[in-house]
Amino acid sequence: MSEPAIAVEGVEKSFDGGRIRALRGMDLEVAAGEFVALTGPSGCGKSTLLHLIAALDQPDTGSIRVGGHELAERGDLNHYRARHIGLVFQLHNLLPTLSADENVQVPMFEGGRSGPERRARASELLALVGLSERQHNRPAELSGGERQRVAIARALANDPPVLLADEPTGSLDSKAGAQVLDLLERLRVERGLTLLVVSHDDRVASRADRVVGMLDGRAVSEALPRRTARSVA
Amino acid sequence: MRFSTLVLKNLARQRVRTLLTVVGIAVGITTVVALGAITGGLKAMAGDMMRVGGADFMVAQEGSADLSFSVVSEAEEQAVRETPGVERTLGVLMHYSRVGSSPFFATFGVRPNELRGTPPTILAGRLLADGATHEALLGADASARLAVGVGGTVTIEETDFRVVGVYRAGSIVENGGAYAPLVTVQGLARKQAAVTAVYVTAEPGVDALALAARIEEEIPQLTSVSTLSDYGDVDQGLRFLDAGNVAISVLAVLLGAIGVMNTMIMSVFERTREIGILRAVGWSGRRIVRMVIGESLLLCLVAAFIGLGLGWLAAQGVARIPSVESFLRPEFTPELVTRALVIAVGVALAGAAYPAVRAVRLLPVEALRHE
Repeated sequence: MSEPAIAVEGVEKSFDGGRIRALRGMDLEVAAGEFVALTGPSGCGKSTLLHLIAALDQPDTGSIRVGGHELAERGDLNHYRARHIGLVFQLHNLLPTLSADENVQVPMFEGGRSGPERRARASELLALVGLSERQHNRPAELSGGERQRVAIARALANDPPVLLADEPTGSLDSKAGAQVLDLLERLRVERGLTLLVVSHDDRVASRADRVVGMLDGRAVSEALPRRTARSVA
Repeated sequence: MRFSTLVLKNLARQRVRTLLTVVGIAVGITTVVALGAITGGLKAMAGDMMRVGGADFMVAQEGSADLSFSVVSEAEEQAVRETPGVERTLGVLMHYSRVGSSPFFATFGVRPNELRGTPPTILAGRLLADGATHEALLGADASARLAVGVGGTVTIEETDFRVVGVYRAGSIVENGGAYAPLVTVQGLARKQAAVTAVYVTAEPGVDALALAARIEEEIPQLTSVSTLSDYGDVDQGLRFLDAGNVAISVLAVLLGAIGVMNTMIMSVFERTREIGILRAVGWSGRRIVRMVIGESLLLCLVAAFIGLGLGWLAAQGVARIPSVESFLRPEFTPELVTRALVIAVGVALAGAAYPAVRAVRLLPVEALRHE
């Protein structure tokens, strides 16, 4: 059996000196090329889990393996974030003073590309997300959906095998949200990306291969959209 | 996009703050440059004073607070003159007084026969005549400033001197002053039978430094001055000037560093979330540090070039003040430019160090939560 793209086992994470227990023994496996939606009520630990997988924070206990490598044992978390994962946030998080193509180039400073290579790659990615015409516009000059598509292009800058998205449609209207989901789905098919998406949005869940429901810091249900649902709790 | 473009755009987002910071540092650098140029000019003047008449070195009273306070008796002067290896000497009594608009007009009292041994370049007229008491040779700058030429009269402390010649020499002080008979200048200065310094020319083939050492050994109350560092032995003022220059420079650097640190701390704090984003997309701590220090360096280097320009203008302005122009010509040396740039880089690094460390220590997830 091949190594899962993401394997989370017994992860616990507390904040405020243990007063807030965000994750309480979370287990999750995502196969390479799979599209998994993480759902659950606010405060159930979805975003915390995503941050831990993105190595933006560290778990108190438990194991997180991405691409077969234990994160806790990696000394090069910057390199991991730059090359092995792409991150998309709910609020696009683009740098306001930079144009769309400059924002896409930002992660590539850690990717070992030359200036012309960075520019060419940014143009290619903006074309991929359908924003060639807007590459010189700053975030303030773009619509919400366009900003999120620029953020997706940025997440793909160094060609990572895993894309992590935190509520990518959360701040978009239904039309823009659908466009973003179309794009994510297309990228998964065309590039074989592994997608782990945190969302409240039923449309996200309906497009996923698998939906993992969370409650109180652990996975409580698993469903296969348009197929059968089964409880794991 | 180049990395420098990002640095530039970060600075451009708060234009007024960036501008004010640049102005603050530029004022500090201006102070350092102007003071350095003026001090350098004064040192150059001192250097010129050591080589009057093309002498190898100067001999003066040891431990004088100021060269003009040095007293070398005629007996000591005679002993110097008779030291084996000395080809010729020029005893000079320096007397400063107000003449025209210059409060520091230098009158060099010399024996006419000694001056003939090492004369300045005569532009018009002739040298001082033996036995004359009220003749004067006027420096070219003094002649122009006072509008007095050969045949005219220059009045020094109510004593009239007939100008018999106009000369040009190697130093600004000489060109802005006059040579007059020693005996008359001794009367003006109330220093009978004494000179301020003796300029010594060694015989051909004689080691000037060894000769200077021999004179010091044989006449312990005198000291020789061959280099600018020796000059401090007969003029403490130069050392005070250097100390003041260093103190003001340090103060300017400290104030500049505080200004830069304030700006960079505010800048980093305002961009906490953006720094979190950069960490989230894989930027290393080292690259974040490079960005913060790059912004600080750019600020300070722009300020350094502005400060160099303004410092040059300020020193030129000071040198054009009528009471100063007779003895000061600001010196802009590569060393001064280097000092300004080193200070700018030092201020940039000192000012950016803490903000850079703070930026790197931010936990990405906490930085991303920052509003």
